[in-house]
Amino acid sequence: MSKPVLVVGGGPAGLSAARALADAGQAVVLVDKEDRLGGAPILSGYAKLVPSHEWAKDAIGGMVSGVEGHKMVTVKTGTKVDKFDGDPGNFVATLSDGSKVEASATILATGFTHFDSVNKPEWGFGTYPDVVTTTQVEQMLSTGAGVKCPSDGREPERVAILLCVGSRDRQIGREWCSKICCTVSANLAMEIREQLPNCNVYIYYMDIRTFGLYEGEYYWASQEEHKVKYIKARIAEVTSDGKRLLVKGEDTLVKRPISIPFDMVVHAVGMDPNVDNMTLSAIFNVDLNKYGYIGKPSTYAHMSETSRPGVFVAGAATGPETIDDSIAQGKAAAIAALISASSTVREAAE
Amino acid sequence: MPIHEKSLIRPENLVEHEELVIDGVDVSGHWSTFIEGRSVPDYNEQLQEEIAAIGGGENIHRCWQCGSCTNACTVNAINPDFNPRFWIYLIRMGLEEELVRDRDIIWQCVSCNKCTYACPRDVNPEGVMKATAHWLELKGYTEMKPSMVFDEEFSLQVFNTGKIEEGKVLQKFFKRTNQPLTQPWLVHLITGLVKRFPVFYLMKLGWGAVFHPRTRDWGRARDAINEYVEERNAEIHKALNLDAKGAD
Ligand SMILES: Cc1cc2nc3c(=O)[nH]c(=O)nc-3n(C[C@H](O)[C@H](O)[C@H](O)COP(=O)(O)OP(=O)(O)OC[C@H]3O[C@@H](n4cnc5c(N)ncnc54)[C@H](O)[C@@H]3O)c2cc1C
Ligand code: SF4
Ligand code: SF4
Ligand code: SF4
Repeated sequence: MSKPVLVVGGGPAGLSAARALADAGQAVVLVDKEDRLGGAPILSGYAKLVPSHEWAKDAIGGMVSGVEGHKMVTVKTGTKVDKFDGDPGNFVATLSDGSKVEASATILATGFTHFDSVNKPEWGFGTYPDVVTTTQVEQMLSTGAGVKCPSDGREPERVAILLCVGSRDRQIGREWCSKICCTVSANLAMEIREQLPNCNVYIYYMDIRTFGLYEGEYYWASQEEHKVKYIKARIAEVTSDGKRLLVKGEDTLVKRPISIPFDMVVHAVGMDPNVDNMTLSAIFNVDLNKYGYIGKPSTYAHMSETSRPGVFVAGAATGPETIDDSIAQGKAAAIAALISASSTVREAAE
Repeated sequence: MPIHEKSLIRPENLVEHEELVIDGVDVSGHWSTFIEGRSVPDYNEQLQEEIAAIGGGENIHRCWQCGSCTNACTVNAINPDFNPRFWIYLIRMGLEEELVRDRDIIWQCVSCNKCTYACPRDVNPEGVMKATAHWLELKGYTEMKPSMVFDEEFSLQVFNTGKIEEGKVLQKFFKRTNQPLTQPWLVHLITGLVKRFPVFYLMKLGWGAVFHPRTRDWGRARDAINEYVEERNAEIHKALNLDAKGAD
């Protein structure tokens, strides 16, 4: 039997990779820098997930317990990789707790970092307490606290969701689309409407990218069943009239400037490259792409590979991904790691 | 400062004050014309619900703004300002002020239903146009025109008798719109009829004009129709927050 596979990052992608390897009889060491597994959906307390409508703590929590209880998996939380040397089949990783792990291959599933809205000061985050992010609304729903204005705890009567906050914005060097925030926003809008039937929800968009089957279940359902309103406008600024927030922009379909009062403004924050990526790139000697995500060659012949043989990658570490795709990529990376491990064992035997 | 390109500004946004002093500065008259801001200050969240409450507007919230209705529209081909897609948007977002600006063209829909067949979301734009015209009327944005009086008399008579009697419709119409019965075209029409029609028909016409025949056993149908009309009117008035009579 070959040496264990080292999986770095215990979010949806890493959990899926670890589980697949373990089920195939391959020993796995799973390290995560946080004190618990689950990645963004658990660490940031998401509510009901797209597209399953299952609570994150049940869906991803189930993946966590499946891995934690697995006899083939050694979990090390609160741990990072400090050094990584060797060649495929014979890597040695030095962990932050001082221990060493000998590994046949490794999978980077280190995920993303939420965009920090203070980098778009014109949209009021950090200035007005009632300007919040999608992550905060997820938490309001998942903790059962309910959707309330942070300033005074009142239930909002009107909520604006601003899409593409920290995405598709050259001004701040982020050209990519974060893929999931349109659908997540439509989902949150429906949840808000369900919880507060008297609250009207407006979504300000440049394009709507509820791709594939999300179109019917999220884009249409939010309009047809939940009367969520979509307005084509990129907001210029969020200010306050002293009582409510004022959202200013241009309604581009009417060619008219708008200056509309709201109780709560929600930033649909994007998925930035993991802030650790420069360090990870240096430690694992893998290239980053021009945006700062972990680079991957073309999928056709090189699925799951990085620029370094024996080091594989999955999930949002490579760019904005959905949970479903991160899980699929985790499983693909597991197969790639298994093939790599077995071929180095074969080569050694020959 | 005089404003040179007034044509670019909506007339109602140009304001002059005959006598106005601000902080001790005299800003009266033409030389101190003000331009009012044109930004939309709020949404009327009831608007979509109001149109949806009127017959034909039920599916308005489905519109995805594709523009097929406007593209297909008979009236739009003649008047590019006639744009059902645009009005549907205004209604959905609650931009009432913008909508009312077009009150003089909205009712021009000819109910050809080309839009209805083009619409991929089954919004029934023709129904929305009808509902919107009705809404403008109920809210008092369009004044009662003679043609509306005619329609009302016409329908009332059908409801009450199951028939229409042209002479009576005309008579009531002229009376309510303060027009003399001796319209030259009418006199011409009647004398023409008298000259050319066989006596039998003339007698039938005359008999009808005097005795106002009803459809046999119409009473129950009339009651049912009136009950339905009243019920619907009450619903619509409630949805629009109007008293029972409406805004006129
Ligand atoms: C507000 C919001 C809502 C969302 N809702 C949905 C949804 O409903 N449905 C959906 O499909 N997607 C959703 N997403 C996207 C979803 O969060 C991602 O698809 C998913 O988290 C990606 O999984 P991952 O495992 O690749 O990365 P992550 O979830 O980011 O996990 C990465 C893990 O790696 C660990 N890690 C990072 N760096 C290191 C390091 N240097 N050393 C060790 N460990 C490290 C982290 O602690 C973390 O546990 C949402 C995103 C946002 C922002
Ligand atoms: S998914 Fe939607 S909100 Fe997110 S970046 Fe793309 S277009 Fe913008
Ligand atoms: S029914 Fe009215 S709105 Fe529709 S195509 Fe005909 S004229 Fe245009
Ligand atoms: S055709 Fe239908 S969906 Fe398209 S703009 Fe007109 S009403 Fe809306």
